[in-house]
Amino acid sequence: MKIILVWSAAVLICAFSAKGLAQAEDQYYNDRYCTTCHGVDGIGNEGVSAPRLAGMEPWYLQRQLESFRAGTRGTHKMDVQGSEMQPMAAKLSDDSIADIVAWVGSWEYKPAQITVKGDAEAGKSLYATCAACHGTQGEGNEAFAAPALAGQSDWYLKTQLENFKAGYRGRDPRDSFGSQMVAMASMLKDEAAIKNIVSYINTLGR
Amino acid sequence: MSNSVSRREFMNLLGATFGTNALIQMGSALSLMPTTASAASLSLAAPIAGKGKVLVLGAGISGLTVAWELTKAGYDCTVLEASNRAGGRVMTVRSGDVVDEIGNNQVCEWDNEPHMYFNAGAARIPSTHRNLLGYCKELGVELEMFINESKTAYVQDDAMLGGARIRNGEMSTNVRGFLAELFAKCYTSAQLDQPFSDTESEKILGLISQFGDLNENMLYKGSSRAGYVSGGFLDHGIQKDMVAFKKLMESQMLGLSFTANEGETGPMLMQPVGGMDMVIKGFTRALGDKVVYKAPVTGITLKDDGVDVSFERDGVRQSISADYCFNCIPSHLMTGIPNNYPSDYFESMSSIKRGEAYKSAFQAKKRFWEDEDIYGGISWINAPIQQIWYPPHGIHKAKGVILAAYNFGGGMHFTKMSQAQRVEAALAQGEKLHPNYREMVEKPITIAWHRMNHMLGCSGRWGSGFGGWTDEIQTLFDRLQQPTPGGRHYFIGDQVSYHGAWQESAIASAHWALADMDLRARNMGV
Ligand SMILES: Cc1cc2nc3c(=O)[nH]c(=O)nc-3n(C[C@H](O)[C@H](O)[C@H](O)COP(=O)(O)OP(=O)(O)OC[C@H]3O[C@@H](n4cnc5c(N)ncnc54)[C@H](O)[C@@H]3O)c2cc1C
Ligand code: HEC
Ligand code: HEC
Repeated sequence: MKIILVWSAAVLICAFSAKGLAQAEDQYYNDRYCTTCHGVDGIGNEGVSAPRLAGMEPWYLQRQLESFRAGTRGTHKMDVQGSEMQPMAAKLSDDSIADIVAWVGSWEYKPAQITVKGDAEAGKSLYATCAACHGTQGEGNEAFAAPALAGQSDWYLKTQLENFKAGYRGRDPRDSFGSQMVAMASMLKDEAAIKNIVSYINTLGR
Repeated sequence: MSNSVSRREFMNLLGATFGTNALIQMGSALSLMPTTASAASLSLAAPIAGKGKVLVLGAGISGLTVAWELTKAGYDCTVLEASNRAGGRVMTVRSGDVVDEIGNNQVCEWDNEPHMYFNAGAARIPSTHRNLLGYCKELGVELEMFINESKTAYVQDDAMLGGARIRNGEMSTNVRGFLAELFAKCYTSAQLDQPFSDTESEKILGLISQFGDLNENMLYKGSSRAGYVSGGFLDHGIQKDMVAFKKLMESQMLGLSFTANEGETGPMLMQPVGGMDMVIKGFTRALGDKVVYKAPVTGITLKDDGVDVSFERDGVRQSISADYCFNCIPSHLMTGIPNNYPSDYFESMSSIKRGEAYKSAFQAKKRFWEDEDIYGGISWINAPIQQIWYPPHGIHKAKGVILAAYNFGGGMHFTKMSQAQRVEAALAQGEKLHPNYREMVEKPITIAWHRMNHMLGCSGRWGSGFGGWTDEIQTLFDRLQQPTPGGRHYFIGDQVSYHGAWQESAIASAHWALADMDLRARNMGV
């Protein structure tokens, strides 16, 4: 048997969610269950619609976890994928979120596989508006609270644009960040436009 | 073709000439191969020297089957399992167990007694599931009968009888009575394609009368089959009044007694004594330390002459090389694990959808159903909990574990609820079947398969709906059933069968892969 040592884990901070669990099973049950859905080292998994987390900006990751926890995201009844994630964050404590952000931060950035087929050239002109906040290379801009788009799972970007447009994300009055995207997404007139812009984003940062 | 030796010789010849597909097809026809044969007919050759290292990914029943069969044949097997337990969807909950639902861990606090358990996944073994029964026999797993239908259990539907519950037997007797009367009224031999003689007609009408317990005028006026209001032993029994069909008609559940206990869920069904995971324990006992727990697979690299697999253990990434790899990790989780699968193979894997089945259970402080003449069986309700199961084991003991909901999915109804909401829904709906339910039950356990760690689904769905099998799906399925080029990696489990959500299907898929691998290895050997 050939064994190669590749990686060694940071100290586990376990925040147990129910009474009695602390004694259960030598700390097997903790809040670091993200990879079951988001794939090994957060590479993303279309099989359960969970996007890439590897390489995500810590400030954006933290804010999304907080916003799922508060229910400002993922609670609209038509937001099918968001409502898969929302209960996962609902029970996280601040300490747990801090632990997770540090842990997820240890995963190396790997651009997700390309699956969406659209007209990247047509998408390029549409992207001009977006660049103001998300950067010309889709690298994101913390000053505008806008996350990186380059390298993100393309099927996920597509769902988000559809959800912003339909009002399933970003319509909660408390969601001042998401609300900025609602107007942006409504500029994309149909599915083809969304596919085109996502195809253009697929050409960035690779 | 009268003895198995000559059959096997014939099969080898056939396989060498036409390939494995022909072998499998022919094998089924000759009842020699997995789907119809008993496990004993799988006779695997010993490994070729230096080609005997096998990795099994996932300790589902299909993975355990492969590990056990190949260990017996002389291979060196290691099973990597992500969870702290083997069995996957074969899961029995008992006192002290942790239910590893993501975002909703629960600890089971039931009395610690052998009969106080809940089969949260697989629960029933049909008489025709020969391979599974074969392993129970081989591995010393004691079986007992499982009771699916009880005439004294209830049916309840708000749309019927003003929401009052009715005994299953009373309902079916009245429905049958109505149908029989209708048959009798419609019956004229002239209308049939093949007219019957008078004696034949008499026989048929007799049968119709027996079917519905009709009176001498071929009318249904109630039947003792529906039960007595009182008496019957030392007093003359007072028969229950017939229930007019019109009153039952409003229910969605009219056909229940004609469908729920037929085919694969028809008698006799079995269960292992002490819980379904006794089957899994049979395998893990036999395999000993070959099963490695808390070792999630983190990467798969196919090579020309084998497979490299990386996994994590105690926070450390490790890697093992093997000559063969059998993989039962659920397809929708496998798509999140780095791999170098050919794109068509990966596409097949990605096309399988996952299901949302949900079960829950309570500890009953008292076996209150036995006071109502119920011993085993299922009560049906037209509400999201759908069913209540009474344990057929532990009869007359102080307490029991009662199944409080079994929702097949097709939606996220319970999955989406909080634990408190799930429990309240089970109580509020259960009360319609048993008015004292709320006081009688405690310590809920809920299992939303869609959220169970390392599983995230109840069973693979190939078609877009039930029965939606197309040529395109067939192509995807065929691709996934075949090994990867070079024949070193097999994808297995009920997800690679035509009949999801049965242990027998998972085992059949394992046998298919083993037979294919064995044949290829034999051909390499020559
Ligand atoms: C609610 C319900 C009711 C059922 N009722 C019945 C019944 O009455 N009778 C019956 O015969 N069958 C029933 N079934 C079906 C039966 O349980 C399954 O068909 C069978 O158990 C599937 O076995 P499998 O080998 O395909 O693997 P699974 O059970 O799917 O096992 C997969 C394994 O892979 C492991 N795994 C996941 N990720 C990783 C990773 N990264 N690394 C390593 N391991 C990993 C999992 O932990 C798991 O152990 C039922 C199922 C459900 C959910
Ligand atoms: C049950 C599966 C599941 C689990 C477990 C899970 N997630 Fe998610 N997550 C999802 C899905 C599905 C989405 C996509 C939501 C959408 O499309 O709106 C998502 C979205 C996210 C997002 C939003 C990404 C973005 O770009 O805005 C973040 C951040 C996230 N998850 C982090 C986590 C972390 C951290 C964990 C572990 C604590 C975790 N998730 C556990 C399923 C899951
Ligand atoms: C005014 C600044 C601004 C502009 C212009 C803008 N965005 Fe955004 N975008 C944001 C902010 C802020 C967020 C983060 C929302 C949140 O935190 O929930 C965001 C989020 C997103 C997301 C979700 C990312 C994720 O990981 O979930 C997508 C996709 C996106 N934007 C695409 C676009 C596209 C395409 C355009 C151009 C049509 C665009 N944005 C224009 C500010 C902007």
